[in-house]
Amino acid sequence: MPPRRQDDIMDVDSDESDASLDYDEPRRKGKGKAPKKKDKRKSKVTEVPYAWEASYVRSWDTVQEDESGSLQTAVDDLIARGRRKRLFAPSKAIRRTIIRHLIIILDLSNSMMDRDMRPTRFDLSLEYTREFVNEWFDQNPLGQIGIVGMRAGVGERVGEMSGNPPDVLRAISERHKLEPTGDPSLQNAIEMAKSTMSHLPTHSSREILIIFGSLTTCDPGNIHETLESCIRDKIRISVVALAAEMKICRELCDKTGGQFGVAMNEGHFKDLLFELIPPPAQHSTSALTSRLASGAPANAPGSAGGDLMLMGFPTRLPDTSPPSLCVCHSEMRSQGFLCPRCSAKVCDIPTDCDVCGLMIVSSPHLARSYHHLFPVKAYRPVMTMEETANSSPTCHACAAMDTGADGISPLGRYRCTDCSNDFCTECDVFVHDVLHCCPGCER
Amino acid sequence: MDRSSHLSVILDLCPTQWLLSAQPSNPHPLSFDTFLSHLLVFLNSHIAYKHENSLAIFGALPGKSLLFYSSEEAGDPSTAEVVQPDPNSYRFFKTVDQSLVRRISREFDILGQPDTEEPCALVGALTKAICYINRLLHPAQSLSSPEDSANLPDPRILILSVSPDASNSYIPIMNSIFSAQKLKITIDVCKTFGPDSVFLQQAAYLTGGSYIYLEHREALLQYLVMSFLPTPSIRKIITVPTEDKTDFRAACFCHKHVVDVGYVCSVCLSIFCQPVPVCSTCRTKFPMKTLQRLNMTRASSLTGTGASQPSASRPTNGTPAKQVYTGLAANLR
Repeated sequence: MPPRRQDDIMDVDSDESDASLDYDEPRRKGKGKAPKKKDKRKSKVTEVPYAWEASYVRSWDTVQEDESGSLQTAVDDLIARGRRKRLFAPSKAIRRTIIRHLIIILDLSNSMMDRDMRPTRFDLSLEYTREFVNEWFDQNPLGQIGIVGMRAGVGERVGEMSGNPPDVLRAISERHKLEPTGDPSLQNAIEMAKSTMSHLPTHSSREILIIFGSLTTCDPGNIHETLESCIRDKIRISVVALAAEMKICRELCDKTGGQFGVAMNEGHFKDLLFELIPPPAQHSTSALTSRLASGAPANAPGSAGGDLMLMGFPTRLPDTSPPSLCVCHSEMRSQGFLCPRCSAKVCDIPTDCDVCGLMIVSSPHLARSYHHLFPVKAYRPVMTMEETANSSPTCHACAAMDTGADGISPLGRYRCTDCSNDFCTECDVFVHDVLHCCPGCER
Repeated sequence: MDRSSHLSVILDLCPTQWLLSAQPSNPHPLSFDTFLSHLLVFLNSHIAYKHENSLAIFGALPGKSLLFYSSEEAGDPSTAEVVQPDPNSYRFFKTVDQSLVRRISREFDILGQPDTEEPCALVGALTKAICYINRLLHPAQSLSSPEDSANLPDPRILILSVSPDASNSYIPIMNSIFSAQKLKITIDVCKTFGPDSVFLQQAAYLTGGSYIYLEHREALLQYLVMSFLPTPSIRKIITVPTEDKTDFRAACFCHKHVVDVGYVCSVCLSIFCQPVPVCSTCRTKFPMKTLQRLNMTRASSLTGTGASQPSASRPTNGTPAKQVYTGLAANLR
């Protein structure tokens, strides 16, 4: 059926543009969203009678072309918006949790087969979870992720806690093993996640991320008791809901210091997930303790989970070394890393040694986290021509000529407050998002 | 496979190191003039290799870094250096050679003879090279068309280093390495003079490039052409010498000892070779309980192995340390 096939292709196209351009909608969190969601559904029902037509309509609803018919302004606005968010963020170094432990709870109930997100909520959330895991490990090299599924009223361990991205991805790679069925149970899944993390030391964070598509939960006991015990164990719960806001989800997040959001569409779903990637500031516990013991001696910064950890720096065996068995997979390999304490051979780092339990890292892993601790100061947009009188005509970093106006600076120039060099729009974004090092200050 | 490639060369122009390198007392003296003539032949062969190949040359001078030459600048008549046409040479070779030599001598003239020499701005040059490549890889949206993305160049950076590591540049260099990894830039390092650079070894290893320490420095051109001219895609087929000895053990912040097992502050990730009550970097106080526990295990491990310092050379396989450590494991859990 040729016409049908054409439809499918169109469908995919419009979905993609949808996902990338929906940033344009005002970002709202939590409560503001639920009514909006309902509105959209209602309008969908009234305007478009068939589900397969629904996906076309939205893509050109949300993006406004400018008078010349290009989408450039929408894209510019997107970049400028991101920049504005960063300018308002505090630029001073704040204490962040570097060693993170996260359990992702995936909803595998019937409601995940809903097609309001393309292709289905289930497929989309699997795809985004994969991207999330990759990006998460990139930014939190010392963290570990475990995966729990909610299916048929029970919590189901899908992937063990692991610091190795391929292991985590393998756990969610086989779609047929995760086929959604039955009702979800928040309590069972949270209890399971909690018990997985119960042995962790105090300096590491314990976090739960729930991707929740259902509007019900069937729990064997009182979920508020589970919530209480999570607060006691300092577990931070964040929920990304795909349907609508539920009181219990909101409460789980608010009381444990997590984030709650209802995804309005595919792009917003991804935004909500990816907001959880940067390491959280460690203020929640310290603020609480300092508030409680305001008269006590100034031990608040030290007591906020600072601790000394024992870590091993392994010896790397070169590719040319004689093959030997590894302790993690029991396979003959020549390359690998030797645990400095027990000389066991492991395939990948960072990990906890399978024999002696020592945390094995290499110095680049530690270095990868440094940029969270020493961020680059935000650049100041240059607003008038006078300011550029005695500065070089090109970008200090990439030697590009003036790029012209963008959303914020009329000259497209951004000046570092420390070294007073000017940078172009592109380099400003690149330096702050990727490079984390100012080319002028060399710090 | 047959994509054009972009090469950014970073020249370490530290005058003192070049003076030392040219001393006739060295086993293989290499003066800056010889170096430059070898380099120009290499740069010309890169341009000759494929017509679309592009080139950018950055210099790291004391306290300052700058762009000496770039292909796009040379293509733009308003900014290009004025080059006398010479009927006996290929115009592009001539442009590169003349503008590079002219600008280097101009910079050295500006430099004069200062009393104290600032360390070379290698980080500045490296970050600029990465920003430049970032711009090449992400051309402005208005200009890009679908077929453009297919013939974006294959980027790499070649660092010709002579000065030793500066310890305060560790974090920025590591950040640059990680961004290079993200942009899939290969970083090659040719250590022309001076002691091995641990930072640059890591840069080459983590980005899949090669680190080569010149032993016979008069054969610089041979090294450059044989190992640094092939593009990364071709290197999969031909075997290029690589370094396989990269050391990833960390040095502690307190005594700069290289440690096998270190004590790490959970807040700022500072590494110490012995348990300390207060972190020297971020002033975090560590709980007494942890200190006691760590001190206890450390004491028992020291008496057990008879080693004087945990930072001393690592025990090789099969030493008594092995049994002691596995016994310790139970205590530590």
